[in-house]
Formats: sequence, C-alpha cells, structure tokens
Amino acid sequence: MGDNKSEVLQGTLDLMVLKTLETMSPLHGYGIARRIEQVSGDSLVLNQGTIYPALLRLEQRGWIKSEWGTSETNRRARFYSLSRIGRKKIAEETENWERVAATMARFLSSSN
Amino acid sequence: MDFLRTLLSRIAALLGCRHRDIDLDDDIAAHLDLLIQEHIANGMSAADARTAALRSFGGVTQTRETYRIERGFPRLEQFGRDLRYASRQLRRSPGFTLTAVLTLALGLGANIAVFSLLNCLLLRPLPVPHADELAVISIVQNNDEHGPNYSFSSPFLRSLEKHHDGFDSIAGFSTRPFQVRDQGSNVRVPGAMVSGQFFSMLETPPSLGRLLTPQDDREGQANVAVISDSYWKTRFHRDPAVIRQTLTIANQPFTIVGVLPSSFTGADPTYRPEIYVPAWAEPIIDAPYNAMADGYHSWWMRMLGRRAPSISLEKANAALASVSNPVLDESIPDAKWIKDARSHHFRFAAEPGSRGWSFMRDTFRKPLVVVFVLCSAMLLLACINLASLLMARAAARERELATRLAMGASRMRLIQQLLVESLLISVLGTATGLIAAPAVSRSLATVLIGNAGDFIMLDTSLDMRVLAFVALIAILSTLLVGLVPALRATSKGLNEQIKSGTQSVHARQHRLLPRLLMSTQVALALILVTGAGLLATSLQRLHGIDIGFQPEGLVNVSLQVDKQSRDGDALVAWYRQYLDGLARLPGVKALAYVSFPPMSGAVWTEDMRSSISNGDQNVYMNCISSGYFTTLKIPILAGRDFRWSDTSPSGLKIILSEAAAQKLFPGQNAIGQSVTQTDSKETKKVFQVIGVVGGIHYVDLREKMLLEAYVPLTQNTDHKPSYVAVARVDGSAVPLATAARQLAANMAPEIPAPVLTPMMMNIDGSIASERMMAMLAVFFAICALLVTAIGLYGTLAYSTARRTSEIGVRMALGAQPAQVVSLVFRENAWIAVYGSLAGLIVAWFAARALTTLLYNTSARDPWVLIASVALLIAIASAASLVPAIRAARVDPSTALRAE
Repeated sequence: MGDNKSEVLQGTLDLMVLKTLETMSPLHGYGIARRIEQVSGDSLVLNQGTIYPALLRLEQRGWIKSEWGTSETNRRARFYSLSRIGRKKIAEETENWERVAATMARFLSSSN
Repeated sequence: MDFLRTLLSRIAALLGCRHRDIDLDDDIAAHLDLLIQEHIANGMSAADARTAALRSFGGVTQTRETYRIERGFPRLEQFGRDLRYASRQLRRSPGFTLTAVLTLALGLGANIAVFSLLNCLLLRPLPVPHADELAVISIVQNNDEHGPNYSFSSPFLRSLEKHHDGFDSIAGFSTRPFQVRDQGSNVRVPGAMVSGQFFSMLETPPSLGRLLTPQDDREGQANVAVISDSYWKTRFHRDPAVIRQTLTIANQPFTIVGVLPSSFTGADPTYRPEIYVPAWAEPIIDAPYNAMADGYHSWWMRMLGRRAPSISLEKANAALASVSNPVLDESIPDAKWIKDARSHHFRFAAEPGSRGWSFMRDTFRKPLVVVFVLCSAMLLLACINLASLLMARAAARERELATRLAMGASRMRLIQQLLVESLLISVLGTATGLIAAPAVSRSLATVLIGNAGDFIMLDTSLDMRVLAFVALIAILSTLLVGLVPALRATSKGLNEQIKSGTQSVHARQHRLLPRLLMSTQVALALILVTGAGLLATSLQRLHGIDIGFQPEGLVNVSLQVDKQSRDGDALVAWYRQYLDGLARLPGVKALAYVSFPPMSGAVWTEDMRSSISNGDQNVYMNCISSGYFTTLKIPILAGRDFRWSDTSPSGLKIILSEAAAQKLFPGQNAIGQSVTQTDSKETKKVFQVIGVVGGIHYVDLREKMLLEAYVPLTQNTDHKPSYVAVARVDGSAVPLATAARQLAANMAPEIPAPVLTPMMMNIDGSIASERMMAMLAVFFAICALLVTAIGLYGTLAYSTARRTSEIGVRMALGAQPAQVVSLVFRENAWIAVYGSLAGLIVAWFAARALTTLLYNTSARDPWVLIASVALLIAIASAASLVPAIRAARVDPSTALRAE
C-alpha cells in the first residue's frame, strides 16, 4: 500500500457516513463505501466491510434509519438515510471533530 | 439518550438473533455483487473480479463478528452457550449432578434456615419508620452480675414519661395472654399493655379508627383497645364496623377504637400481640393481681424510647443518666431502697433499640450462633467435597481442554466456562435449599422455643437481608467449588504433561492438591463429628439425670381460674370436686394439684430460716394438694403428706426436701420443728415441718438439686390462685384431655379451656436449645460422614483409575495383589491420618467455645475424640475398599497395552 494512504481513524467513519447520507440518500452500504472512497480522493484505506458495524452503531443510536430495497444487481439490500436526530447531530459532531482537528494541528505545529 | 436507545436496540437484537444474521448476510451479498459488477465493468474476468471484491470488502467473517459484538450482548450470548454446554455436561452424569446438588442444597439450606432465625432474632429492625432512632432503656447498677436490667415498675414509667429529655417519646409495654370472651367461652389471645406514648413512639398510623394516646392511659378513662390486622381479619372478617364494638377482656368490656396496619408487629420481635390496651388497665387484665398498685415492688414493664433525630444515642444516654436521681426520688417512697440504689450507682441507660426488645434474644443467641457455625462448617465441607469431585471429573476432560488451549482458546475463557458449570450446580443447590429452608427454620424455631412461653414466635420469613445472604453464599460456594478445579484443569503443568503423554510421571505432585482438599474435608468432618459427639453426650447425660420423680406418664392440666367469681374455701371445694371428677376416669392412676409443675419455667422462692440454720436460706417453694408426692413418685422420707383437712386454723404446715431439711436443721430431725419465712413485707410466717421428702429438679435439668419446700393448697391465702392438676395416666392421655375440658366447661363455663401438656414436654422444653443443638449437630455429622465417604471414594476411584498402567507395571514386575491393595489403601490412609490430625488440633482449641453449653461433659472428652477419629478412619477405609479391590484385579497386560 502506498505511503500516502492512511487508515480510517477511530470514530471518523461514523461522521463520514453521516456526511455522506446528508448529501445523498437513501444509499446502500456499497454506495456509502464507494462515496467515502471517492470523496477522500482515494487517499484512504477503507475495508468496506467495516461500514456495516458503523451503520449498525448509528442505527442503534437512532441517527440513521434503514429500509429494505433492491440493489442495482437485483438483490435485497438495506438503504440508509438520515433520521431527524441524525440531521441535528451532524452539526454537533462536525464541530467536535473540527475542534479536535484544530487542537491536533496546533499541537503538531507547536512541537516543531 | 443514545446509550438508552442503543441498549434497547441491543435487547431487541438479542431476542431476534438469527433473523438479524440473515439480514446482514443479504447486505453483504448485495455489496459483494455490486463490487464484482464494478470490477467486471473495469474489465476484469469474473474470477478476478470476485477475488478483488473480497479484497476490497475486507474480511467477511471479521465483519460478521464485529457486527455481532456491536449488535447484541456477546458476553450474555456466550454465557448462554456456556450454560447450555454446562447443563448438557451435568445431564450426562445424573448421579454426580444429583449428589452435587443435594450436598450443596443441604449445606446452603441449613445455612439459610439458621440465618433466617438469626435474622429475625438479632438483625431485623422493627417494621416502623426510622427504627434506628429507637432506644431500649435499661437500668444499670454496678452490682449487676447478669448485665443491665430491662424490667421497670410503673412508678418509674410514669416518672420517665415526664422526664424524657433527649427523647421525643418514651413508652413502656408488657406482653401476656389476655383472657378474651369469644362466642360464649373464654380464650387466650396474645396481648400487650402499652403506655400512652407507645404508638406515637413507633410512628404507626392506624389502618382504621385511632390508636391509643396518652389520654387513654389515665386512671378513670374508658376501657379502650386497639386490635391487630390479623385479629381484625380472623375475628371480625375485616368488618369496617369493628370500631366501637366491644371485646370482653378479663370479664370487662373494652371498646375497640382502632385497627393496626398489617405491617405492625409490636415492639418485641418474638411476640405478636393481637390486642393492645392502655397500661393503666393492668389491674383488670392481671386481676386478681395488681402490679400497678404494687408500685416499685412489681417490675413488669419493658421500656423503649425514640430519640429526637438531632440527638445522638450518647447524648440521649447522658440525658437519661442525668434524670436518674430525680426519677428515683420521685418514684420510690423507700429511703433505704434509694440509698442502696445510689450506693450502686443506679442510673438509666439507653441502648440501640431499632430491633425492639425481646427476652428471648439472650436465651437463643448462643445456641443459634453455635448452630450457625456448624452449618457453615457443613457448607464448607460440601463445597470442598464438590471441588474435589469436580477435579476428578475435569480429569476426564483434560485432553479436550488441553486441545482447546493449544488451539488458542484463552485460559480465562476456559475457566469461565468451567465456572459456569459450578455456578449451575450452586444455583440448583441454592434453589433446592431455598425451597426447603422455610420449613426447616420453622421446625427449628418450634424446637428452640420449647416451653419458653405461650405465644412466643420467631418470624422466619425471607426478607431482603436473608436473600442478600443467600446470594452471597451462593456466589461464595460457586467460587469455592469451581475455582480450584478450573484453575487446575487449565494449568500449564497439566498441559505439558498431556503433551508428553505420560500420565504417571508427574503423578506425585499431581495428587498433592486433591489430597490437601480431601484432608481438609476429613478435618472438617472430624470437627463436626466431635462437636456432635460432645453435644450428644451432654444431652444424653442430661437425660440420664435422676430428677427425683418419674415424669413418664404424667400429664399437666393447667387451669386458669383468676377471672371467675369463686374464691377462698369455695374455690378449694371447687378444685377438690374437679379433681374427684378426673379421678373417676379409668386411665387415671393418681392426681394432685401443684402451683408450678417442675421445669415449667415458673419458679417461686422465699427466704426461710430456723433457730439453728445459718441465717436465711433461699428455698424453692411450691403449693400442692394432698397426693402430689404419690402422683410424681417422690419418696416421703419421714413424716406425712398434706391432707385436705390441713386448713389454716390447724396451723401453717410445711414439707421440706431432704436437702432443705439438712440445711435448715443440720444434724437434727426436722419433723415437728418450726421454720420462719422472712417476707419482704417484714411479716413473719411460722410453719411447722410435718414431713421430709426426696429432692427433685425443680428449675431445670442442669441445675443441682436445690432447697425445696411445699406448702398446702388448703392454707394458700392468695386470691383465686390457679393450679395445675398433675395426673399419672396409664396409656393414652386423649380421654383425660376430653374429660378435663368437658368437666371444666360443665363446672365453670367462664374459665378458659384447660391446657394439657405432657410432663416430658416440660423436661424436653427446659433443654430445648441443648436438644436443638445436639439434633442438628448429629444430623450434620451424619451428613458430613456421608459426604466425606462419597468424596473419598470418588477421588480415590479416579486416581486409582489413572494409575492403572502404573499398577499394571508393578504387577508385571511381581507385585502381589495384597501389595497393590495396600498401595491404594495407603492413599486414603494418608488423607485420613493427616486430616484427622488437623481436625483434632482445631477441635482441641475450638471445643472451648462449647464448654458453657455442655453438661457434665469435658469439651475435650477423650472418648468422644477417640471415637470420632476411629469413625473417620473406618469411613476412609470403607471408601477405599472398592477402588482397592478393583486395583488388585487389574490385568497387567491389558493395563500396559492401554498405555
């Protein structure tokens, strides 16, 4: 694997999924995974399977909801979309993440 | 919020497990399909596209696993799997399971039963609000040998009610059976007389009407009563119109003003009054006696107080101490008495009283604690026994476990699984024990109470405290039973040993742990057997005492005549007529009256002196009719018995026991001499001795023979004295019982039906706690022996089976069957000898705790110790027999081939 690719950081996948669903929904697991890879410009190593536990986690919290549909290849698959709570949470989570990222950036620049 | 939603969703997932698995598989299949499509669209072959799709998806199995962990409660599901596995294991060997569950149920059930007795007697707070604010009030003097005094006379009560500094309220109470009219006849109902602040002190709201107040507790107020919920239910069928109805108590009408809530049980945990009346009504209840009028001569009340929440017990105690002198001055009109009390630093004191006050507490504490220790030893023994049996069983699974360890199962995981098995056993054992416990504790309570008193009861119902105890011992026993075998079965040494394939190489060190466990078990069994031996020997010696009369065949018919109208000569005539009526019954051989039958718990003493006695002698008195000595078969050694004609005008007569005669008239013939009774009221009574009789055990079996004296019923000046008719009956006492009740109902319909008790019951009752301890100890000892025998047999059979090849080699090399037998026998002999030695050492030191409970038996009785050791060695040998014979029959060639 290339050096310029990075692993998905713990906890960031959830936000990526939410953000994806904010722009395009409903979407099935494959769609979400592809979308994340595309947006990140293929600079991310994503085991697409890991998307499913993340989806489950978000659904358990009630941030997203799912319904059964048929995929492009004519198979039974779940399609996910944001719930009302999820929509509210995105702003909150984004802010959180930005704060962490900014702190990290400050920290890294100061230690140089 | 998120947490809660997640939790709910996980629970939902747990319930629909399989369904969700299929859903995920569908999702994954669709995902892979789409990936393959994408790769084919990019120009890959179908096979390559599939490989690439799987690669970019990552591990399908890992995804499933993570998904499952996220979805439900993996630990719970794992636990469920372990549980199913364990129950399969147990079902596969029903014999072992049954033994294990029963052994544990026995240990646990006994512990629960005894703990619930201890709980109700010593731990459970009164079911009233803020019980911790209650205090028991006592009188402390520095010359009290038996600790503080909890009895109060009414002047103290009245004075303390006024001087209740530090307390919100102070109240006295006294419990006894009331004579209550019910459908034309009189019955005895447990009751209580309580002072005015009693109910406000216990902060009890009435469930109907009102409760008693200080207003009610004044001379001249109307007779009022409050009844318990259970009495309301049984007597009035919960009729709300019960208020203002009348109860006839001791022939006087009492108006019911209120009903107590069902939760209220009174201030004495061992007595449940059904009727409460104000304390001032005591002269009515106790008629013809009057403790109120007797003032400071009569000590008949217990006292409790409720502290103000802001005041600590120490402060309340100090406040009581400071009012002691003013209360003393106010209540006691006797300057000499006060001076005497002051010289002994008389003061009132407060003790924690959240659990109320019961006379029974001191009586029952020690036997219950001893029994509790016995139970705990039994439980420990049961656990160790199970541990060693489980260890033997685990050996059969050594290979399985070792394989699983080798394949990467974590040791924690295996231990967990093995512990689930012992958890299952202990849960089953606890459940069985819990089912049996209430019946056991009820029957223990019956034996323990003996003849301690009418209506004494121990409420052994399960409460949170008992259930917490049950949970605690169940968990402890799970760990005790399961942990050691689980640790060992998964230990590295064992693994290595299996890898090397030679089982016998490390056998010596391998056998050390089971040996230690088994020796501990033998030691515990020895302690139990020794304890049982000592208690049983003591009980047998108690039974073997010559009590001076023959109790077999004697029946006490106790009459209660204090509330009827006859008195004096008319009453004596009535008594005589009643006795004559009973004497006509065919089975009745002899009959007489007595005030206090021997060992009935009641005692009457007087100070007596003669002209030549060494000052006053404390003499145990009894008032009897003619024929008492013949009825009880007490020998008349000199002089004569009383006659019905010995009435007061003929001069006061007395009959002395042999010991009393010797003490009062040393070296002289007592007949015809006079004895003087020095009464507390300073009036002297002079009796003429007309007879000397054999001594008897009057108070209890343990006490030495005391100085005893008898006065005739015909000269008793008490008002309306109640007597017990003692009858010597040939055969069944049932005709006597019917006739006694019938006759009483005909001759005096207003008295309660006479109560019949066999004299043997008095005697057994007087040693109730000794009997309970000995019975339980013997029972536990037998169980301990049985359990130890099973354990010794089980482990030896297992270890011998493991040594089959070794034995085969030995026999191939020329060992004789006798040598093999001794080889196997040695195994258990080692355990029996070391275990007994350890047990003996512990028993030697622990037995001292039993000293005060034993009668005429040394706590280190050599015969009991020797017999116990011999018994255990015999049991160990018996347990070795079958494995030894089996070993001797080992065919060398088969054994060697198996290796």
